[in-house]
Amino acid sequence: MAHIHCTDIVKSYGAHPVISGLNLDIPNHEFVVFLGPSGCGKSTMLRMIAGLEEVTGGRIEIGGTDVTDLPPGERGVAMVFQSYALYPHMSVADNITFGLRRQGVSKADIAPRLKQVAEVLGLENFLDRRPKNLSGGQQQRVAMARAMIKTPKVFLFDEPLSNLDAKLREKLRTEIRRMHLKLKTTTIFVTHDQLEAMTIADRIVLMRDGMIEQMGTPDEIFERPASRFVADFIGTPAMNFITAQLEPGLIAHSGSIRLQLSEVEFPSLKPGQEVELGLRPARMDLCEPGSANALTGEVVLVENMGAEGQVITEVDGAEISFVTQGFRDLSIGDTVHFTIRPEHIHVFDPKTGRSLRKD
Amino acid sequence: MTRKRFVILSLVPAIGLLATLALVSIAGAVWFALMNRTLRSPDYDFVGAYNFLRLLRDHRFFNALEISAIWELVTVTGTLVVAVLLAVLIYETVKKPLWRNLICFAFLVPVLLPRVAAAFIWRFLYSPSLGAINYLLGLVGIGPVEFLADPSLALISVAIVDIWQWGLFFTVILLKLMETLPKDPVEAAKLDNARTWEIHAYITLPMLKGPLISLALVKAVESLRSFDLIFVMTGGGPGTATETLDLYAYQMGINMGGRISYASAMSILLLIVTTVVFTIIWKAGKKWAN
Repeated sequence: MAHIHCTDIVKSYGAHPVISGLNLDIPNHEFVVFLGPSGCGKSTMLRMIAGLEEVTGGRIEIGGTDVTDLPPGERGVAMVFQSYALYPHMSVADNITFGLRRQGVSKADIAPRLKQVAEVLGLENFLDRRPKNLSGGQQQRVAMARAMIKTPKVFLFDEPLSNLDAKLREKLRTEIRRMHLKLKTTTIFVTHDQLEAMTIADRIVLMRDGMIEQMGTPDEIFERPASRFVADFIGTPAMNFITAQLEPGLIAHSGSIRLQLSEVEFPSLKPGQEVELGLRPARMDLCEPGSANALTGEVVLVENMGAEGQVITEVDGAEISFVTQGFRDLSIGDTVHFTIRPEHIHVFDPKTGRSLRKD
Repeated sequence: MTRKRFVILSLVPAIGLLATLALVSIAGAVWFALMNRTLRSPDYDFVGAYNFLRLLRDHRFFNALEISAIWELVTVTGTLVVAVLLAVLIYETVKKPLWRNLICFAFLVPVLLPRVAAAFIWRFLYSPSLGAINYLLGLVGIGPVEFLADPSLALISVAIVDIWQWGLFFTVILLKLMETLPKDPVEAAKLDNARTWEIHAYITLPMLKGPLISLALVKAVESLRSFDLIFVMTGGGPGTATETLDLYAYQMGINMGGRISYASAMSILLLIVTTVVFTIIWKAGKKWAN
């Protein structure tokens, strides 16, 4: 049992607050990703849970035990660092078993456990090597083996894939996810890569300026962003934003654009209100002229992404992009019509940036 | 001009000069060592290996050899042990950069002192009648201790001065080296349940193995040149309790005997022994570092 319970966490360096009053609950077995731009406090939060950073205020519990004042080694957590943080002068085997040896586990007990994790991570042939003689991916596997062999209550990953190339990153991401499905150990994974977060997480904690902006499953975060910030941060290509005026019948109007909004999702909207619309490029597609919720623009640029293409158009002097499989028939200067369904339109308060969707 | 030619042309003058200076003096010493020259008389004969053969029967020479070996061992290990312990202590207890820098500055002062000045300061500190150390020992009912006149204490008392000068200096170097180490492995070790001393014994110090070996070699070379310190503090005495090879050579060649050829033979032997021993240590150190 290792659910994590953070209450009123405050962290400041001198007078400068980094995290101010953060509350967080992570149930047992869950794979949680801390996501956010650099400097949002996600790594600091992780390091405080690990015990590498002192909390200025608040309490951290792991598995029902208050660990706020416990040293890192006694919290039952294992961490994988972005830099791998291997001990450079030790062999791979010594690196992996260092923690067990410090706990006084006997050699006879260590050997089979080493063999097992080495097998799981495909490191059997490298046990005698030094870290410097391994590739980045192999080094990160050693770091993961070092964390796994301790059978911790909680796994902590601090941007573990950022130093790897794209292909390897994808491979290790899948391995980490598979490992979690097998071990079911509560895991916190820090990243600034939203795609990584979306693919790996049970739940995403999206942070901004030391606060939690939104917490939810990848689907919730993607489909029901709580604020303009979340909507902008998640999804590639990035969301289009348009400031519009509401007209009776829940029509959003801005220049040549007239879009029908969903009455079910946004019952509180009033005519005359000014709102900010969010249109995901991936939720729009080409349509016939005059279709419902159609936008008309002039093609400025077409970006080939393989199966699909991003089409950047100019509508009333502002750029709006959408994604379509039919991009190959388009060329710069063409007039295009594209549409979005009312339930896919996000509406935000232009002042607070919060979503106006009903809870 | 090719790069290779440029490199050779720029190196040749300096290397030539250094080689000449080194070779001429060594050749001169060898030349002297094969004669029976003294400072008292202008007459001399060619005596072949006589001086070297006599050295092998000279008990005082072997005593000096032993003292030199002990001196090397005590000052090198003493300096490194003091430096490692103090550096770890400061690293763990003094976190504020200002305090650290002040301590480093204070630790640099002893090594900036000329050897002779340091020797005089400590002669006063060690003095049985006037010295501060004996005054403090007197307060707890010990002493007075004859630090420099007691044959069993004299060598270690002088070694302490050397360690005071160099151990504190090496502390500063080591502390600065520790500050440059990546933080992540240390944090990983903390998460691996390592206690503070274990972190240093198993992680930080092994990561500094290369620099530590270099420091040991530098100190070993430096310890060979402690003539001035020992000369001022004890003059090799009491008796021959602190008489290292260079002191004995000086006593023989300049001070009492004026037997310049005999002293030259001793220097040549010292040169050979040092070269051989250091080559072995250097090779072993390199192998161990890898």
